Amino acid sequence: MRLALSSSFIASACFILFACTSEKTDITKNGITFCSESSPASFNPQLDTSSTTADASSHQIYDRLLEFNTEDGRIEPGLASSWLVSSDGLTYTFQLRKGVQFHNTEYFTPSRNFNADDVIFSIDRWRVNSHPYHDVAGGNYPYFQSLGLKSTIKEVTRINGYRVEISLYKPDSSFLANLATDFSVVLSAEYAMELLKDGSPSDLDKFPVGTGPYKFVAYRKDQYIRYERHTDYFLDTKGPEHLVFDITPKSSLRVAKLITGECDAVAFPSQNDLEIIREREDLTLLEKPGLNVGFWAFNTSKPPFDNPKVRRALALAIDKTSLLEAVYLGQATRAKSLVPSASWAHQSNMQDLGYNPVAARKLLDEAGIPFNFTMNIWAMPVQRAYNPNAMKMAQLMRSYLAEVGVTVNIVSYDWARFRENLTIGMHDSVLIGWSADNGDPDNFYRPLLTCSAIPSGTNRARWCNEDYDTLIESALKTDNANERRVYYHRANNIIFDETPLVPIAHAYQYQAVSNNISGMVINPFGGIRFDDVERKP
Amino acid sequence: MAQFNLYQEEYHPSPIMHIWLEFKRSHFALVGFAVLLLFCVITILAPLLAPYDPNVQNTNAILLPPAWEGNGTIAHLFGTNALGQDVFSRTLHACRITFGSSVILVFIALVVGVALGTLAGMNRGVKSSILNHLLDSLMAVPTLLIAIIIVAILGTGLANSMLAIILALIPQFVHQTRNFVREEMKKDYILLDRLDGASSFRIFWKSILPGMFELLAVQSTLALSVAIIDISALGFLNLGAQSPVVELGASLSQSLEVAYSAPWLIALPGFCIFLMVLSINIVGEGLRSALRNRLIH
Amino acid sequence: MINLLLRYINLMVITIAVLVVISFALPYFFPGDTLTNLSGIVPESDAQRAALEAAYKLDGSVFAQFWHYLNTLVNGNWGVSFTSQTSLLKEVSIAFPATIELITYALLISVIFGIPLGFLGGLWHHKPFDFGVVTFSVVSYSFPVFWLALIFITIFSLQLGFLPLSGRVNLLYDVPHQTGFILLDILRADMPNKADAFYDAIQHIILPTLSIAFVTTAIFVRFTRRSIMDVMEKGYIDAAKSRGFTTKQIFFKHGLRNALLPILPLMAMQISTLITNAMVVETIFSWPGIGNWLIQAIYQRDYPAIRIGMLVVSMFVVSLTITIEFLSRAIDPARDKFERGAV
Repeated sequence: MRLALSSSFIASACFILFACTSEKTDITKNGITFCSESSPASFNPQLDTSSTTADASSHQIYDRLLEFNTEDGRIEPGLASSWLVSSDGLTYTFQLRKGVQFHNTEYFTPSRNFNADDVIFSIDRWRVNSHPYHDVAGGNYPYFQSLGLKSTIKEVTRINGYRVEISLYKPDSSFLANLATDFSVVLSAEYAMELLKDGSPSDLDKFPVGTGPYKFVAYRKDQYIRYERHTDYFLDTKGPEHLVFDITPKSSLRVAKLITGECDAVAFPSQNDLEIIREREDLTLLEKPGLNVGFWAFNTSKPPFDNPKVRRALALAIDKTSLLEAVYLGQATRAKSLVPSASWAHQSNMQDLGYNPVAARKLLDEAGIPFNFTMNIWAMPVQRAYNPNAMKMAQLMRSYLAEVGVTVNIVSYDWARFRENLTIGMHDSVLIGWSADNGDPDNFYRPLLTCSAIPSGTNRARWCNEDYDTLIESALKTDNANERRVYYHRANNIIFDETPLVPIAHAYQYQAVSNNISGMVINPFGGIRFDDVERKP
Repeated sequence: MAQFNLYQEEYHPSPIMHIWLEFKRSHFALVGFAVLLLFCVITILAPLLAPYDPNVQNTNAILLPPAWEGNGTIAHLFGTNALGQDVFSRTLHACRITFGSSVILVFIALVVGVALGTLAGMNRGVKSSILNHLLDSLMAVPTLLIAIIIVAILGTGLANSMLAIILALIPQFVHQTRNFVREEMKKDYILLDRLDGASSFRIFWKSILPGMFELLAVQSTLALSVAIIDISALGFLNLGAQSPVVELGASLSQSLEVAYSAPWLIALPGFCIFLMVLSINIVGEGLRSALRNRLIH
Repeated sequence: MINLLLRYINLMVITIAVLVVISFALPYFFPGDTLTNLSGIVPESDAQRAALEAAYKLDGSVFAQFWHYLNTLVNGNWGVSFTSQTSLLKEVSIAFPATIELITYALLISVIFGIPLGFLGGLWHHKPFDFGVVTFSVVSYSFPVFWLALIFITIFSLQLGFLPLSGRVNLLYDVPHQTGFILLDILRADMPNKADAFYDAIQHIILPTLSIAFVTTAIFVRFTRRSIMDVMEKGYIDAAKSRGFTTKQIFFKHGLRNALLPILPLMAMQISTLITNAMVVETIFSWPGIGNWLIQAIYQRDYPAIRIGMLVVSMFVVSLTITIEFLSRAIDPARDKFERGAV
């Protein structure tokens, strides 16, 4: 008896262990795991400019009125099937798509399809201060605030259920592009009202409902986000049944997991591993010159960094060429101004500060900075195309600055906390950067350095210069690219003279993908997309 | 035999000499002892031995492989890391920090622990107190766990993690000392001392402490191996030494970033920790069996 | 007996009281705003601050605050994590079983391998086999557990590609949380592909378990070997020999029981070593256990989480230790005092 029992146990154990090894099962066949670099701050990209948040929500859960073509950046129909711009450039009319369904989830069952009310709700939430949802998540909408869109839009009106009109105070040549960015998502007004009635409005950004190709299933901070395919999605897409974001902060670990097959695609592979990925036959490295800039910003609201001399001295003390080699391993071009050469506003004859520790020390002496002055450099804890390893860069900079008698403490928090503390200006200087959300140069100049971008936190230098602001304003009032270019070049000169930040690099964007899946492309205008990704048979 | 004794003299080695003679009989123990001495030498002389400043960064020589591989150079024996720092120099300095700080912290824990243990052991009143029991149950908790918790409270850093491990090690010394002292206090020779009018301190210093030497030696080797593992584990978890201090565990965790392209960066610091702990354990083992054998003979 | 029980209960109560008092005091010593350290919430308005202060009795005396703290501890209302804003009770109740699961398997492995090896080593004392056993135990006892885990990963995951290197199960399997033990949860779950998920989970569990089982196995080998050697030198073994029993009979009749009994509590004590090593190994294998959670909390200076995490872990370890100590003395009153195994 005992023998029979134990042998049947062994047999069943063998069955469990080996019966299924031969073929891949449904769930792993119909599912895709993406290893992302960090936990999103929320599931509503209106609330955060971090690309982590955009990756996790924007193109998965939501749709926008307009979309960028990932190839050439042209604006294409999204939830709006067509649009009209009045001749004075002040009124935009959008015809909305019919029959678009919101997600039906465990926490919300939609009773109606997408219509004009949802568009109005989504825009008014950040636009109207008295909106019941305006202050629900702190009332900070950094992208829209940094662009000053609140004061651009006059009114959003409903013409009928599927037609919306937006009128502006002043013409804005980048308005349509802004509606196509990751941040201009369309939320469900019906869900919001239901939550308001239940007294839990903050769930709107934690348990999201959208019209996008995937619906939200579950999230555990620092561990995973689970999505499920939105079966009634209005476009015909090939995406997998299940999508999982496996949150893996270490870039080397992400690549390791790609190698063992635990991830199908990874964000920001470590620069050191690029060669390995290229060499392996089962992996593909996607690369694209990025519309981005990595920089070192000084907190100009804190002495002695309010002194342009000090900032210039520190800029002279670091050797950008070595940083490019050591951190980007040569996979980046040296940045002299904010916009990369891919943009039409790029200034190729821009002057640049070289590496000159002697001049740096002299300037520091002039500014009365003592030897052994201590400052901190905040190094962002996540990898980005524009700075794949800020910690390493900070360590290299520490040794350069030590040569001119400046002691550096390197500071790092987890990403969400890091950004919060940056926004309130706790830093002396920070290594961070910016990726374009649309192809317009205004998307660099305005959020990064204008006065109105300080409270929203995208102006990491907390630098405010009226001449600069006037130039950026003037550049938007015209459609003529040559005229705009002149304004931007003059702005470049102000940045050079004042050095609120030191541009370091424009870098390549990378994604590493297993050859088991197809359809992954790098989206140069924002968040990652999985709507057309599928597992190869 | 170059020498011979004309008179047949009975040779009585001193107790310590006796232990050494017993210890010497095991080749393993001797090898372990030699390795341990080597680490002591490195700890003292690391700045002289290291060819480079461990923190100097050379961006022209990043991630060079070790000298014996194809494109390595003899200028960097174990290659360089992701910041272009010489791995050999860094490893020497890291051994110095890890080993040196462990020795220091074990010494401090020993002094404090023996002091407290003696007080508890000689003082009858404290004997049955609940404090003793508390200390005993604290002793069963792994030191690393206590250290992690203390570091969580104090904040990260080498000094804090040393403090944490000292605090975590003290109970063991207290326990051993207390038991030993209590046993000795019952013996006649202490009573003799008392009758001679010796003060408590004198009894401890002249009579008990010399007898405790062996016990403390064994306990210290145990504590030292624990301390090394703990301090490098804290370093590995980024709770201990922070850059620019080079420490074995911390270098190991920094190497993780390039684990796939530069596996030798993981092998070296890990192996050093392993070798340190192994040699200490072997010496400890040798010491213990030497003591046992001496008592038997 | 009653006396003994009372003494240990007394000890347990006092130890736990000390831990609770320490954890109560922590938020006042942590840097930053005490209120945020207590509640995990950054007050956004004065009204909210006042409400929170009232809720945490910050306006009252220290005793009122302590009483309130005790109440929240007992009620399971442990507050929220500063970074994720989720209930700490919930996070701990998910993370802690994951660690327990890991150490359970590691303990099993250590018992299955450690005890027989130690037996044989002790019986064939000073033979080549014993020499091998001793060498193995000294070497594996000296391995830093984090380095061992990295070596396993390099060999079995990256080079050979046999085993996964992170997590408990492929995340595509959505295993509902029931017991917190992933293998049990899969077996109990109502999900398709159960067998696949189970197999996948086993693959995930192998490397972390082995990494922490290594050291404990070495310790078990030494305990068992020493104990067998001591027992076999005892007079009653000689007596049995003189009565003509075979070695086998002697060993199973007298040796085994008498050698095992005294070391059982010593082995049980190793659970706390296992927990510590598991905490380190979890961070390497991204195992979602209490160690990984606590260390993340330390990185993120999430003081509410640190406080609860340290309280839970230390309470568990200390009460476990005291219980084992009590049981071992209750079973074997002859033993004067708990003797700690020197390793």
